[in-house]
Amino acid sequence: MAAEPTREWSDEQLKSDDLPKKDLIKFIQDNAAHSFLNEHKLLGNIKNVAKTAKKEQLVIAYNQLFQSKRFKGTDPVEEVTEEVKAVKLEEKPKEVKTEVVDEGPPKFTKSVLKKGDKTNFPKKGDTVSCWYTGTLEDGTVFDTNIPTAARKKKQAKPLSFKVGMGRVIRGWDEGLLTMSKGETARLEIEPEWAYGKKGLPDSKIPPNAKLIFEVELVAVD
Amino acid sequence: MALEQLSDVVQRCQALSNDSYATEDHDVFTIAGRSCIEEGNSAQVLSIVLDEKNQDMVRCMGWNLLPPLIPVLLKKEDKNLPQCLAIFNHLMQTCRPKELLIGLLEQLEQDDPDTIAESLHLLLSPLQKVLLCLGSRKPSSLGMTLSSVLDQVAKLPLPLTKEQEEDDVFSLCRCCADLIDFVRPFVNEARQNLLTTKTHGKNIDTMTTKQNEMEDELRTELLKFCMKTLSHPLLEVQLRDPDTLPVSPLRMFATDILETLRAIGESLPSLVYQPLLRRKQVPGFLEEEVRYPKESLASLAHLVFVHHLAADTFPSVFSPVFSLRCTMEHILLLLSRTEDCRIQKGLELYEKSLVRVEDSSLPADLLEIKTFLTVPQNLVKVMTMCPRHDLRTRGLKVFQLSIDKFNTEAKYRFFQYMLKTSRHSGVEGYIIKNIKNQIDIALQPGNSNTWFEGVHLLPLLRKVLSLPDGPETDLLQYLDRIMESLNLLRYLVIRDKVTENQTGIWTELYKIEDAFMKPLRVGINMSRAHYERELHTTMEAKKKKAKEEESVLSVSVGDEKLPNMTSESQIQALHSALHTFDMIESVLVRIEELVQVKDDP
Repeated sequence: MAAEPTREWSDEQLKSDDLPKKDLIKFIQDNAAHSFLNEHKLLGNIKNVAKTAKKEQLVIAYNQLFQSKRFKGTDPVEEVTEEVKAVKLEEKPKEVKTEVVDEGPPKFTKSVLKKGDKTNFPKKGDTVSCWYTGTLEDGTVFDTNIPTAARKKKQAKPLSFKVGMGRVIRGWDEGLLTMSKGETARLEIEPEWAYGKKGLPDSKIPPNAKLIFEVELVAVD
Repeated sequence: MALEQLSDVVQRCQALSNDSYATEDHDVFTIAGRSCIEEGNSAQVLSIVLDEKNQDMVRCMGWNLLPPLIPVLLKKEDKNLPQCLAIFNHLMQTCRPKELLIGLLEQLEQDDPDTIAESLHLLLSPLQKVLLCLGSRKPSSLGMTLSSVLDQVAKLPLPLTKEQEEDDVFSLCRCCADLIDFVRPFVNEARQNLLTTKTHGKNIDTMTTKQNEMEDELRTELLKFCMKTLSHPLLEVQLRDPDTLPVSPLRMFATDILETLRAIGESLPSLVYQPLLRRKQVPGFLEEEVRYPKESLASLAHLVFVHHLAADTFPSVFSPVFSLRCTMEHILLLLSRTEDCRIQKGLELYEKSLVRVEDSSLPADLLEIKTFLTVPQNLVKVMTMCPRHDLRTRGLKVFQLSIDKFNTEAKYRFFQYMLKTSRHSGVEGYIIKNIKNQIDIALQPGNSNTWFEGVHLLPLLRKVLSLPDGPETDLLQYLDRIMESLNLLRYLVIRDKVTENQTGIWTELYKIEDAFMKPLRVGINMSRAHYERELHTTMEAKKKKAKEEESVLSVSVGDEKLPNMTSESQIQALHSALHTFDMIESVLVRIEELVQVKDDP
């Protein structure tokens, strides 16, 4: 608990026009308990308070402060309030939260084919880049971005996206968060965390398909 | 005469060096040369142009001869064709590329569709050769050329049916194919540039900054080209599937454009999902909105998701909900327009995006996203106001599909929103019918939820079981809504047992009687009385063959004023109205009966 603050100005000085309102407000704000400031309408930016409070009110408040001794730290909720004030409001993320309903055990399995560096794990919102091949249970390859001899080799780029944001199927979002940079893994994803009952119409993925992806996590930004 | 003048000036200039040609020399050469060609003396012009001694002059001034040459080349049956062709080819080899470019571009400007198509077909190849010689000015000149070419293409009538595409009467399809051939070397160059960049990195040692800039500029011009074509003609035409039309020039053109985008390093997923991806501002020439016009991106999304072009290179890992959220922006754009082709594509894209999502899976917080509210509003406009019947019907189908994809809470909130904002009795009636279906589902064992029974249902019901203007409500205008509300009330009263009261209707009933049933009764009586009196008056007037009253309004279509309604028609309409009131009343009476039965067991 801080020592009780001392009076900075005498009564005469307080009444004098030489003492600017802002100084007085600053003193009170620095030393008074939050509830005190609240009651006397002295919370907020000094400029704003200066506009709305009269000098006389400030002098009265100043004197009351020393009378009541409601300094900082004397409020029971002071600490918590201070912490709350200190918290910066982060800009509300523009992503809509996808409902994460606890459905029980994860609907994918992972087998590591090649170990990664085990240090660089992606967090939600990081941009990851990967090479991948996707097959159905019967072995049909339905998608890949790995250049084969047939394709124009050098034009291929790894797939980049922000992980953990619901932009990709859930099996990928959850799976990639468990991988580290350089890792190659085999993800077997149940339809519930892939394309479900619908599959991908007009594509090779039928309804209720379990998907198998071999994924190499190349980069994490 | 012209020939003499031409010979004179040529002779004079043979003695001079090419930087001392006077302006007069230029002018005389131009005017005389053009006249000679126009008068049919192209053979002489050819010999002059081929003469060794005249090459400096030809290099300097020859390009001015292009204007009369091109029409001859386009005519094809002209007897001067061989000579003119020879002149043309020689000029192409001799004159400066910069000037040839200007001359050729000028000749592209035509007015009638046939000439446009023919001149494009003729001139694209020479233009390509000229551009390939241009060096550092190439990208901007290419951009200028592509812009002019596309302006001309925009003047061509579009094929609207499969047969028209096959016939290609106005040669639009051929122009598109010509265009692809035209840009091919530049696309290949851009592709090569990217590969060298990839393998060596943006290495300042091996490439100058100027070279870098040039490569960027080339990519930018090609991007502009692709974006423009996505808007026109691609957004305006209907692509046919391989089953319908195995060889489709337009589909090939679209595929080539997508391939071009890939060649210049644009990722299709990034483009299509752009609305939701905060892309870093690309430093360079164009602002993002100019670089990626929204309409072009919407067209691209349609090509990718509805026509499945480039399907084998589009990753199959994106979540259907994410995909839907992105395409909603494109759909909004397309449905906000009035052109049939855009509305149709908007509906198709919407349908395709919804179909991939499981029923009853979309959560209510999606409704916090603006497009999920504005798209249905636009859809309502289509359903109620689009002149084409098939689009209205399809709009309704997609509307219902979108409802089916929402989960229960989302459906509830959506219904609330639509009832508040649609301002259309038919739409409100349709929503009320949906509400009834949801209540029916909720009442089935195992489907219980708090939205369509229990605590949330009553506030919704209160909004539904009400008259917009109390007893003075215009029953005919609000017929659809009123009938559905009555049907819903009747359903509730039959389905929900008094002893169970799962929906809360029985405890609410007295309020509904006051707010809905009684005012409705009053309204019916008032309306009936009013219309019966009207009917009587009209029939009296008809009997007396009294002069038809001056109507308060007249209606004109085009410049013709429509005739007033005949007495017979008026009487028919009034009878019809009275019949409607009877219909409303019969349901109301039935409800009252059912309620009474439950009251007095």
